[in-house]
Amino acid sequence: MSTFSRYLPIFVIVPVCAYLGMAAIQPADATGQPRLRDFASLPVMEEGRIKPVDSVARTDLMLLSKIQTFKEGDKKGQPAIKWFLDAIVGKADKAEVFRIEDPQLLDVLGLKPRPQWFRYSAEELEPKLDELVKYFKQAQKIKPSEWDPFNRNVMDLANHYMLCIQMQREFSPPLLLLIPPAAPGQEWRSLREAVQDAQANKTPDQPTLAYREMLSSYMNGDAKGFNRALAGYQSYMRDTYPVESRKAAFETFYNAYAPFYHCSILYVLMFLVAVASWVVYTQELNRIAFWLGLCTLVFHTCAIITRMYLQGRPPITNLYSTAIFIGWGCVLLSLLIEGLYRNGIGNIVASVAGSLTTLIAHNLATDGDTMKALQAVLDTNFWLATHVTIINFGYAATFVAGLLGVLFVLCGVFTKKLDQSLFKSLSQVIYGSVCFATLLSFTGTVLGGLWADYSWGRFWGWDPKENGALLIVLWNALVLHARWGGMAKQRGVAVLAIFGNIVTAWSWFGVNMLGIGLHAYGFMEGAVFWLIAFAISQLILIGIGSIPTRYWQSFGTAPVEPTQTRFTPPVDKRSRKELVGVRN
Amino acid sequence: MADVAVPSTQDDLVDGDLATAPKPAPKAVRSWSPWHILSFLASLRLTVYLFVLAFILVFVGTLAQKYAGIWTVVNTYFRTVYVWVPLQIFFPSDVSVPGGFPFPGGWLIGGALLTNLLAAHLVRFKLSWRRSGILLIHAGLVVMMLSEFITGMFAVEGIMTIVQGSTSNYLEIHDQNELAILTADGKQVTTISDRLLRKDELIQDDRLPFDIKVDRYMVNSAEPIKIAPGEKNIATAGDGLQYLAPAKAPVSGVDTQQPNDVPSAYVTFMKKGTGQSLGTYLVSEWWSEYLQMFDEPRPQIVEDGGKRYQVYLQPKRVYKPYSIELKQFTHKVFKQTDTPSNFASTVRLVNPHTNETREVEISMNKPLSYGGETFYQSGWLPGDQGTRLQVVRNPGWIMPYLSCGMVSIGMLIHFGLHLAKFLKTQMKKSRDTIAPAGSAA
Repeated sequence: MSTFSRYLPIFVIVPVCAYLGMAAIQPADATGQPRLRDFASLPVMEEGRIKPVDSVARTDLMLLSKIQTFKEGDKKGQPAIKWFLDAIVGKADKAEVFRIEDPQLLDVLGLKPRPQWFRYSAEELEPKLDELVKYFKQAQKIKPSEWDPFNRNVMDLANHYMLCIQMQREFSPPLLLLIPPAAPGQEWRSLREAVQDAQANKTPDQPTLAYREMLSSYMNGDAKGFNRALAGYQSYMRDTYPVESRKAAFETFYNAYAPFYHCSILYVLMFLVAVASWVVYTQELNRIAFWLGLCTLVFHTCAIITRMYLQGRPPITNLYSTAIFIGWGCVLLSLLIEGLYRNGIGNIVASVAGSLTTLIAHNLATDGDTMKALQAVLDTNFWLATHVTIINFGYAATFVAGLLGVLFVLCGVFTKKLDQSLFKSLSQVIYGSVCFATLLSFTGTVLGGLWADYSWGRFWGWDPKENGALLIVLWNALVLHARWGGMAKQRGVAVLAIFGNIVTAWSWFGVNMLGIGLHAYGFMEGAVFWLIAFAISQLILIGIGSIPTRYWQSFGTAPVEPTQTRFTPPVDKRSRKELVGVRN
Repeated sequence: MADVAVPSTQDDLVDGDLATAPKPAPKAVRSWSPWHILSFLASLRLTVYLFVLAFILVFVGTLAQKYAGIWTVVNTYFRTVYVWVPLQIFFPSDVSVPGGFPFPGGWLIGGALLTNLLAAHLVRFKLSWRRSGILLIHAGLVVMMLSEFITGMFAVEGIMTIVQGSTSNYLEIHDQNELAILTADGKQVTTISDRLLRKDELIQDDRLPFDIKVDRYMVNSAEPIKIAPGEKNIATAGDGLQYLAPAKAPVSGVDTQQPNDVPSAYVTFMKKGTGQSLGTYLVSEWWSEYLQMFDEPRPQIVEDGGKRYQVYLQPKRVYKPYSIELKQFTHKVFKQTDTPSNFASTVRLVNPHTNETREVEISMNKPLSYGGETFYQSGWLPGDQGTRLQVVRNPGWIMPYLSCGMVSIGMLIHFGLHLAKFLKTQMKKSRDTIAPAGSAA
């Protein structure tokens, strides 16, 4: 083994750590300017969860503009917290935060299209505001289910505009409670409530005074005054709410760090390396990809643990976290496979699954707070930790089997890579993954039933989400029995496993789109398109995989004679015939 | 792995694991000998086909919930021998598509799977460590299927609605309705199930003070509206003279506004055995105590020979020997949102027969068990004025727990044994050669 080869892991780990470490460095606020970062870390209460102002600012800005930074004049990439403060004190007129894509709506508002940016400021909207109000009133008279895209866009824009107005009028967005309880047992209050209470009692409490001071200084451009009031309030909060303050500061760091963004970059990089390994320097690049994957997985794990700490919950609490967790599960399983076989297939699957799921998670994050407090039905850590985690791990295992199936088909049909040993190892891991997926999806599904029985006395209700999970179990069981009964051979299992992708995607997202059932988290329109596109792509792959093997590149030349191992089910005579036929 | 396989054809037979499997009948015998039938029933091929059918059934049973309520779907797709699947379910509701196709229902597919499973084990029962996992898995699945069967046949689910400060001693079964006949002072005489009412037949029974003819039964109806002058009306007595109940399509699973069908009916009451009409009445569940929780329910008054009877169309009631009083209902939301953070009912249970009194809090994920029944917090009345408890009696409730344990342990044993063996060889191999296989080509 060469020196390079021996120390190869270090050549990967060090740069990855350096990259992640650099990304963790966040610039401090400039001296003489308002200390926005510190303000962003102040704990507040929204929708039943204590979080930093930063998270509120980011989700609100995301709602309007679909990104977490904004542009004002020539200054790009301004932080959400600046827009938030500006909007509260009424200085955000020039901030380009309203995303408008609809050409018809732009026309109505007399705005020029801005391809690739799409965002406009309040100042630009105001000249034709009457038009917006007119169409808003028209749309109000129509049932939401009958809105056309224009109606919907008008309603969205009007609501976004009103949010800004309200932020200015109420000194905070709706639902945001800035003022912590004055005494134990009391509730958080909004700034307006606190000011009213103060007027009634004539004794404003310290948080109310501090916010008033901060906001008025900020409005007057008095950075010193703002920072003084902020420092005072920070030390007050640190003394009275030490845990909340620490958590909020940590969450602010987490928000700015955006660990899953770095995960997706690293997964894409891993994919490129893994693909390159099929062309040149196979062994070395494969190991690089593997170690890259391993580092990313560790980082991914840490990020999930951070979320668990911040939320005080098991890893999965909503649709967003399923994407992150399923991605994690896929990567973990694929890297295990890679560790066992060291032939690059695990790397490919891990990197594809990792990049796709982080991409899906990114798109799901636009819905709002990804760490929302849970409603009463879901308020149980025991079942969230068992049923939800296991069933999602089952999804992950089914996806891994499906992706391996895709790899099997693509390699076999279009390349000559699917030689005897790859054929054998791929069939083994597909089969193994399906077994594992059966175990997990069955256990997870039944645990869900037990939860339902425990919580509302109905083990099985034939609810769409339950049925979705049952479909996965049925499908996996079908694949296994077809294999054992000799109805499907190695290739058959691979092709059937691809269909498992559709089944899992249906259970994961499709069921929510039916808009029914206790489990449906919400309807996502764009997602319907992607789900259908995904299903079609998988059907095409199944079609390709069903092409007789004599047309497969791999079988055309390479002699394939799988030897029987103890792990694979015995190859029966027919499949031998099939393979012999391939050779001829 | 293949030791569960039943070779359905000679081709499937291989050496190794299957050597011990019983030999199928010689090929020359083509008749339907018992052995043939048994080996067909026990074949893995049949298992796979049944899985395909089950897969399709569950899928269409999910799609169907776009158009029909969950209980309708459960009863017409899963707890039935066969189902007529309308093509409409594959299309959005704004496209109307006629036609459909028959399909085996849940009982049939489940029964066939059970037969298949039992037959397979009958044919090749053999106790060994290697097979213990499979045996345990399949035994667990048998328990699971039986449990769904027992639940389907014997479980009773009802709702107990209690207004704050008041007491209730009955459950309402929401997918069944009844015509209740009470004396003028509120004593129940008898009830007629909606299964009879739907038949539009003359109902005669000794327990009934009169004969009843159902003129029209509406499975679902809108709230009765004042009749316009000159409008056609078949009612000749009671509130039906002033009100009309418009018929509606049955509710679907998607409908969040209305969770249950609210039936109405036109019925003619007749003097016992004479056919002499006492009047055609409109009866509607909209006027029952269930839907008029905070207003006066509207009984239809039928007079016969000087005796007055009250008639209600209402969800089927099951009376209990105990009563439950709602002391306090709490419904907490996260401040400034509608998201419930917790809801709970503090109730007092009194059973005069056993002299028992209990005060308990029932909340989400924290049910109360009493007398073989379990009470779950399920909903609340508008304005938090009362609570709805889901009450379930399921004699088979323990079976899924058992089954889950059996199957999970079985899978762990079965897959674990194989994984261990595989890992052993793989480790050895990777110690021998580190060269990646993919690079060979």
